[in-house]
Amino acid sequence: MKIKKVRFFFLIICIAQLFYLFQYRSGFRYDIIKNAFNEDAGIIYSVSAEVIESRKILKENNISNFNLSKKIRENQYFYQRFIEFNYPARINNSSDFTFFLINEKKTNNCKIIETKKYLKLTKC
Amino acid sequence: MTKSFFHEKIVLILSLLILNNYLLISLSLPQVLIKVNFLFFLTTIAIFYLINFSENLYFKIFFIVLVFITLGTPTVDWDPRSIWLFHAKMMFYENSVSYVADNYAAFSNNDYPKIAPAFASSLAVLIGHWNEVFPKLSFLLIFFPPVILMYSFFKSTQYIIFLSIVFFTISKYLFSGWADGIVAVYFGMSAFLMYLLIIEDNNYYKKHFVINLITICFFIILTLVKNEGTILLLILFLTTFIIKLFKKNTSKDIYRLLLLSISFLPIILWKYFCYIKGIGSAFINPDLISNLVLRLYEFENYKLISYFIFLNEKFLLCSIFFLLSFWIKKNVVVFSYISISTMIYIFILFLIYLSTPFDFYWQLDSSAARVVKSLSFLLAFFGLYNLKDYTMK
Repeated sequence: MKIKKVRFFFLIICIAQLFYLFQYRSGFRYDIIKNAFNEDAGIIYSVSAEVIESRKILKENNISNFNLSKKIRENQYFYQRFIEFNYPARINNSSDFTFFLINEKKTNNCKIIETKKYLKLTKC
Repeated sequence: MTKSFFHEKIVLILSLLILNNYLLISLSLPQVLIKVNFLFFLTTIAIFYLINFSENLYFKIFFIVLVFITLGTPTVDWDPRSIWLFHAKMMFYENSVSYVADNYAAFSNNDYPKIAPAFASSLAVLIGHWNEVFPKLSFLLIFFPPVILMYSFFKSTQYIIFLSIVFFTISKYLFSGWADGIVAVYFGMSAFLMYLLIIEDNNYYKKHFVINLITICFFIILTLVKNEGTILLLILFLTTFIIKLFKKNTSKDIYRLLLLSISFLPIILWKYFCYIKGIGSAFINPDLISNLVLRLYEFENYKLISYFIFLNEKFLLCSIFFLLSFWIKKNVVVFSYISISTMIYIFILFLIYLSTPFDFYWQLDSSAARVVKSLSFLLAFFGLYNLKDYTMK
């Protein structure tokens, strides 16, 4: 009887822990699990709009390597997320294509290819 | 077939398949083999679930809940994004681990071992594409072998307490794409298996072939998850040797210990590969000694490290439970084994933090809580194991 009570107690503890993890520690979203195997699942909760937009631009223009403006490079978050999120497209310092933030002044030798809400892609 | 033998066989097959997956990717073998390997893994889990479904039922239900949570959780944190899942993604696209040769995106610590990302990339290979969510599921699947194994050693109530210890100490690291939880559980189980096979004088498991194989698999996996895993396994070997020395029977089981030490071979090969490709570690640089010397004489630094390690609430609670357990039921050998291992690891942590090339406070704040998980789990697990027979009285 005592063993059963202990078992029941720890069973409740386990369930409470799982509920706590689910509710407060996971960042769980129903719209993610509904599309958990879709290519873009969960990206809006994972990275900023600028990063998501960069991948969209690269895909639309079929670009496999890109460069980043000085301002984007100086922002560690942007720099790392642009690299990681856009893989297999790779960052390449000698790439013709350079991303600039929308409010950033492009360099003179660069021609704008596409302008979106947060970024502009240039060919330099 | 006894309940425990069935579970041990399942654990062995799952562990071998995790290792085989790593081998297939390391050798850049065709994706069809990787798919077949992963399908075998999933089939083994299905067999585990379906053969006598009611056995070990709570674990089965809890892990289905965790699968559900994993598939609804975004990947936000830096380590999962920049290291583990990024490497999995690169492996998925390159179908090999040799992509690290050009040290692309050096910030992602290319020298880190790759068994967890390799498993995540294989799940993506099976599904056929990459995304931000489902590859994390493979991190959860890596927990299966050690957690299932303990069902052979604990009675049902004790096993539920064991599961609550896993949930308490590992917490969100079960499903968020971090590797620290995997290190913690494999370290705890490796310490346990080392105790069974080497330290304990006589038991049935010493001659149990499956348990011996499982031990080698767990040791290898521990070293291939994170760099900490290798340090932790070295600590286990060192502590075991000290205990043997203390018991004056170093010659006994020496061959078994030597045999188990082959577990270091894959990580040595990986580190050699990184070395010849010129891929270094952010932590090993010429400033290491100067950083250490500069911080060594500042008492405040010790206070800060102690604050982050010893006042971690989970570590504190697990330590209290461990001490209470051994106060209730004395077992000098196990107590010494775990205490020495813990002290050596804490000493190494002090050295690592004092010599970090990064900002001292930032390094502690960003890593101490997860690094100390290995100790929290170890202490809580052995606290429970010590009371195993006591609670049966």
